[in-house]
Amino acid sequence: MTTFKRSKTARLIMMAPAAGMILAGCGEKPVEVQVFNTPDECAAYYNPPAECKAAFEQAKALHPQVAPRYSSKTECEADFGSGQCETAPVLAANTSEQPQQQSQQSSGFFMPMMMGFMAGQMLNRGGMTANPAQQTASASRNPVPSQPLYKSRDDRTTFRTATNTAVATQPGPASIRPSAVQPKPAMLARRGGFGAQAASRNTSSYGG
Amino acid sequence: MKRISSTPRPGWKAFAESVGFNFHTFDGEPYWDESAYYQFSLEQIERDLEEPTEELHQMALDLVADIVRDEKELAQLAIPEKFWDAVRGSWQSQQQHLYGRMDFSYNGSGPAKLLELNYDTPTSLFETGFFQWVWLEDQLMRGAIPQGADQFNSLQDKLQQAFSELNLPKPFYFASVAESIEDKGTVDYLMDIALQAGLDCRYIPLEQLGEIDGQLVDLDGFAVQGLFKLYPWEFMLQEDFAGTILTSQTQFIEPLWKSVLSNKGILPLLWQKYQGHPNLLPAFFDDGGPLQPGWVRKPLFSREGANIELVDMCGKRLTQSGPYTDSGYIRQQLAPLPEFAGNYTLIGSWVVGDAAAGICIREDSSLITKDSSRFLPHLILG
Repeated sequence: MTTFKRSKTARLIMMAPAAGMILAGCGEKPVEVQVFNTPDECAAYYNPPAECKAAFEQAKALHPQVAPRYSSKTECEADFGSGQCETAPVLAANTSEQPQQQSQQSSGFFMPMMMGFMAGQMLNRGGMTANPAQQTASASRNPVPSQPLYKSRDDRTTFRTATNTAVATQPGPASIRPSAVQPKPAMLARRGGFGAQAASRNTSSYGG
Repeated sequence: MKRISSTPRPGWKAFAESVGFNFHTFDGEPYWDESAYYQFSLEQIERDLEEPTEELHQMALDLVADIVRDEKELAQLAIPEKFWDAVRGSWQSQQQHLYGRMDFSYNGSGPAKLLELNYDTPTSLFETGFFQWVWLEDQLMRGAIPQGADQFNSLQDKLQQAFSELNLPKPFYFASVAESIEDKGTVDYLMDIALQAGLDCRYIPLEQLGEIDGQLVDLDGFAVQGLFKLYPWEFMLQEDFAGTILTSQTQFIEPLWKSVLSNKGILPLLWQKYQGHPNLLPAFFDDGGPLQPGWVRKPLFSREGANIELVDMCGKRLTQSGPYTDSGYIRQQLAPLPEFAGNYTLIGSWVVGDAAAGICIREDSSLITKDSSRFLPHLILG
């Protein structure tokens, strides 16, 4: 067998549109998620307790990042009810490593308490594995992250996402469109901190 | 090593555009040029280019280990003092690297001479790894080149393997300057390969990167934990978000220690450590005096041949203007590019991980290779 000095194949899947790899936004298929008040309730629905706990922890970690923020407790309680709001922490750079420190430092803002969580379709429900073929194409992008849910002051039964999308009125499975429940951070980022040198030098490429 | 005239494939421009190669023509002048190709022998490729590439790469890595511990050298390389610890840390924690390209002056015999390392933001990747590869396969199929011709070009194979082995964060982001279609083309190609390797890839225009409490974030405000940036480290270290580099939990490709290698100051430091090596040219930090015949002056930081000044053996001075006038300079002995049919030819030699991965050829009508220099394909025969 001759050894070649060149690549065996050189194909493109994204740059060449003919290859048919088009990520369309329309015709989006709903996916099944599960909604619970607590991890224990999740386990009671024949879900593996460890996965329930993991989904809950993921939602809890997301909670301070995505919960709507209010400048006063009164404004927050007007939307979520008396005694249903807490102070919002400052988010440190490495939130995953210092959750303790993070929650102690107040940002001066208020946010609703987390009232439940949505588990993405990672749960292996009652030992019944979801159709693996269905998993690969869409689920490899993990379209629905596990996330915190909230309940508004005037509707204590409906679970809502941080962006106020109603997802269920009772615990258990729910069918949702992934694009409707993508968590969005509540904080505003500074932007434009890179690229100034490019703008001042004005060449066609910044590689070489 | 020969330059052989060749008839361009009919319809190659339409094909180029169909695969996203939108910069095949540059300001009305050809950039991809298949009116000729270069032919090498296998011995020229393996003995004169592939082996020296891997050896020089190892020498350069050995040198990084010395430099990150030497404050005098970090200062000579004009790396801001505020980042010395971070540069050292990125090397000592063995942050992974993806690719680089070294440029050679080589005429088919004798040792190839290293002109510089492009180890932070090398481009002309798509042209090398994909378009040049397709050219060879096409021309073999058409019988336009001798059967049995090969090419020194395992770039795409090696990049795909690297992406699958690097264990990068998911999702992994790719950023380039929004207005540069050339850079976007390079990043699109890398994303395509990364996607084939199973990565969850996202593009973000460099200017749109955000910052929250010291963490780089994407357009939705989520932490960017892995970032390929086609943007020079020396720029990033002096822009508004420079401080964020120190606090953000982000794995950068290329890692920060590459700022030591993608710096013309590495050339005098290589010469200091490996003086007399057959593939190295004498090089020194510049003292600002007039250039003697047979020497070149290069800024520590420049791209695409910009701001280079050379005086040839006959004392003729040649300069290239450009936007990189704000750093120090080095001087290097001139190894004039060989001339083929009135063109001056430069060889770029790719490194993926630590392995040589192929070559690309650029031609210019002057001794200084520039952004606009034409790209020609090559083949190996015999």
